[in-house]
Amino acid sequence: MPQLCPIIMSVGRTKFGEHYEKEPEKLIEEAWLKASISAGIERKNLNAAYIADYFLQITNKIGIEEGFLSELTELHIPMEKTRSFNSALLNACNAIQAGKYDLVLVGGVEKMTDRWEKIRDDLMLLEDPWSYYAGCTPEANHELMLREYIRKHGIKGENLEKLNIALAQISVKNHQHATRNEYAQFQKEIELDRVLAERKKANKSLGLLDFAPISDGATALVLASPEVAKQHASQFVCIAGSASATDYITFPAREDRASFTASRIAMQNALKMVDIQPNDIQIAELYDQSTFLEMISLEDLGFSKKGEAWRDVNNSCIDYQGFYIINGRELFVNTNGGLKADGNPLGATGGAQIFETVKQLRGEAGKRQVKTEKQLRFGSILELEGFGTKAYVHILRRD
Amino acid sequence: MSSEPIERRVSYIGDRLKGSKCSLCGKEYFRIKDYCGTCGRKSFSKMKDIDFFYEKGMLEVCTTVRQPTNKFVKLGSYIYGIVSFHNRKVRVPGRLTDCILKDGDHIDISNFEDREVVPRFRRRYTVEKSDVIPTISLTFTFADEYYPHQEYEIVEPRKEYETPGIVGYGVYVPRFRIKEPTMKRSVPFIDEDSITAAVEAGKLALIHSGIEQTRIGKVYVGSESNPYAVKPIASKVAQVLRLGEEDKTEGLQSVDAIDTEFACKAATSMFKDATALVYYPGAHIPYTMVIGTDNSQAAPRNEIGGELDFFVGYGSSAFIFGKKDVITQIEGWYSCTSDTPDFWRRDLQPYPRHGGRFTGEPAYFKHVTKAAKKLMEKLGLQTRDIEYFISHQPNVSFPIKVAKAIGFKEDQYMPGLQVAKFGNTYSGASPIGLAAVLDQAEPNQRILLVSYGSGAGSDAYSLVTTSQIEEKRNRQKLNVQYQAENKYIEYVDYDTYRKLKLGL
Repeated sequence: MPQLCPIIMSVGRTKFGEHYEKEPEKLIEEAWLKASISAGIERKNLNAAYIADYFLQITNKIGIEEGFLSELTELHIPMEKTRSFNSALLNACNAIQAGKYDLVLVGGVEKMTDRWEKIRDDLMLLEDPWSYYAGCTPEANHELMLREYIRKHGIKGENLEKLNIALAQISVKNHQHATRNEYAQFQKEIELDRVLAERKKANKSLGLLDFAPISDGATALVLASPEVAKQHASQFVCIAGSASATDYITFPAREDRASFTASRIAMQNALKMVDIQPNDIQIAELYDQSTFLEMISLEDLGFSKKGEAWRDVNNSCIDYQGFYIINGRELFVNTNGGLKADGNPLGATGGAQIFETVKQLRGEAGKRQVKTEKQLRFGSILELEGFGTKAYVHILRRD
Repeated sequence: MSSEPIERRVSYIGDRLKGSKCSLCGKEYFRIKDYCGTCGRKSFSKMKDIDFFYEKGMLEVCTTVRQPTNKFVKLGSYIYGIVSFHNRKVRVPGRLTDCILKDGDHIDISNFEDREVVPRFRRRYTVEKSDVIPTISLTFTFADEYYPHQEYEIVEPRKEYETPGIVGYGVYVPRFRIKEPTMKRSVPFIDEDSITAAVEAGKLALIHSGIEQTRIGKVYVGSESNPYAVKPIASKVAQVLRLGEEDKTEGLQSVDAIDTEFACKAATSMFKDATALVYYPGAHIPYTMVIGTDNSQAAPRNEIGGELDFFVGYGSSAFIFGKKDVITQIEGWYSCTSDTPDFWRRDLQPYPRHGGRFTGEPAYFKHVTKAAKKLMEKLGLQTRDIEYFISHQPNVSFPIKVAKAIGFKEDQYMPGLQVAKFGNTYSGASPIGLAAVLDQAEPNQRILLVSYGSGAGSDAYSLVTTSQIEEKRNRQKLNVQYQAENKYIEYVDYDTYRKLKLGL
């Protein structure tokens, strides 16, 4: 039976960064208004809403998020809260595919800078409590996973140097992309040497410029069943594949600590739904909480061979053309600047990934618009919750 | 942690490193599981309890943490990584403790990886002063450094004695020292306190005794530096060392646990009670444990009470009493007490004070001399009948002066005089002296131990070693001399010493 593919009618977002003066209500409203105007729909048409946030209750003491959204929109429709944006989107897809709703609002909002001093403890407890008790930090898990990767693949000497450079190149590349993204938190280029210098300063394998920042921001989209979508628009980007997978919360307890099992499984299942191969995908938004996570995701999603992603990155970045070249094919990765430069307001982050992919597939990405020989058709999005504890993969298709 | 039930649950698993093993497929877990994920339903009731408390692990990968999360900030920079047990069957997160990293240090991580580590029982992180103190054993030190790994092997006892006595003992002092002209003193690492030292010493005593920990019926912990005004150290010791039969469904230990306080004689006072209890026929208590533990408190040198800051140490010693496989029998005792306010600490005050005029003659010397002489008189002993004399050791001069006054010679009192190596460990002071003597005593030798506690009182004990003292000796690598002369001792300056002593 052919799959019913929900249509993304419109997307909206705020700039990411520090929104000191704005309440979370203002942020989500801004994103939502942009999306609804662009879709040409009214609030009263909505059947349901899904809102994603991790820490709003802690950071902004807002109480039950659905009630906060109800008050804001003056709607009494079913609303559900999730953590990540892609989790909200997956739930919305399921509901539309089940025939329950026709028109759904999906939103994500986070305001992390209000809790600047404490957010790392919150993050770490969310991500892996036992590791937290033993002294882990959000950054340390990335470094341990990098060590596991290096050891597993026996990378040493010159190759190890190349791997370290490749990771720095990812940061440089994402900053470069973000210069063309008016919504990005950091719209400036950085030098490779600075990434390396930050590592040296901290005396660590990954430095300040290897990690995504703490951000505020909001994103939203309007999702519709194909029938309803047809009444409003002619050009469609649909969700052809959506899948998720889960892994143990305690990182050291996982069987494989050199890659994310959940990412791999989610991607396989999403690909199956669309009936395509990884190399059919031309544009990918990866969850680069650290430069290493962008690199490992290239392997986990099946773009690069196991233990080889750093080579692909390194080779592509020597004379960077705006895309990675993997197995002789072009793959555009994190064209919005990724989490590193676009920003990472947890609950809203996935919305920015979807935003970017939709814009690119529709050819509306402006200065960022990628140029391909074959017209863009497939884009994939990977979002993680925790440290690879949950992985969500959505494959978007331009019809 | 503000929610005590969470704290209890984390501690229950984390202090002991409790785990489960599927007896069908052999899969192991860090945490208690009722069934195995691989074997499914058929594994119900087939899961075996295991724990990694006495095991050694392997530090597989690690990284340096230089910007810890808020609760770990006081630890500064440290090494954090993944530790595996049982040939990589189980992996846990772990922090390397007892390691001072300086900011500029370049660390080559590969020097730390693939090395054997031993779990240490420590404070978990910083909490508010009024909170429950969280502890954990997901902290490790290298097995080839200060603390070697020692197996805990249960040995079936073979001989029962008429007179009960000590069946095993252990002394724990950390690897940090401050060295000043008069003495070297032991310094806790920042995540240590009198609770953690008590557990470590108790663990060593169990290893040395070879008895099953379930057979201990009562544990006494003497201390004057319990970080709690109300909450026993002994309950933590009982749970972490799993003393007495364990009721797993309720998480209870069938053991009596009690803290005692009488300045520096809080532990030695209980030796006679612990001995009497194993002797009492109706009690059916084969073994008892007495621990003396102190992170000896002293005000900074420029404050009132600061004179103590030249002498205080940190450490703990534990003794197990019973009737079987005794290494030294307790021949007799004598105690004396007077209400002498020579040293005290009022509630809510951080540091004790000395009543200067009372300190020497009317306090220490009067009580120690009296107790020693009375016991010798009671047992009809002369100084020549005694091979070793150990007294409380707040400094080097007092114990020598008192030994000479009673009539002992250098070869009788020097082996037990350990204060110049560790400092005054308060409740653990004369017991560490006793342990040092037991480390070297031959069978059928007589030891006179006289403790002193300010406030004031003394306990004198006459102990006679048995032939089993030599048999058990090789079970304890971490003896007093090993800890005193270890090449991995790290010396710290005065400021670091104060900071470490203050703790998390």
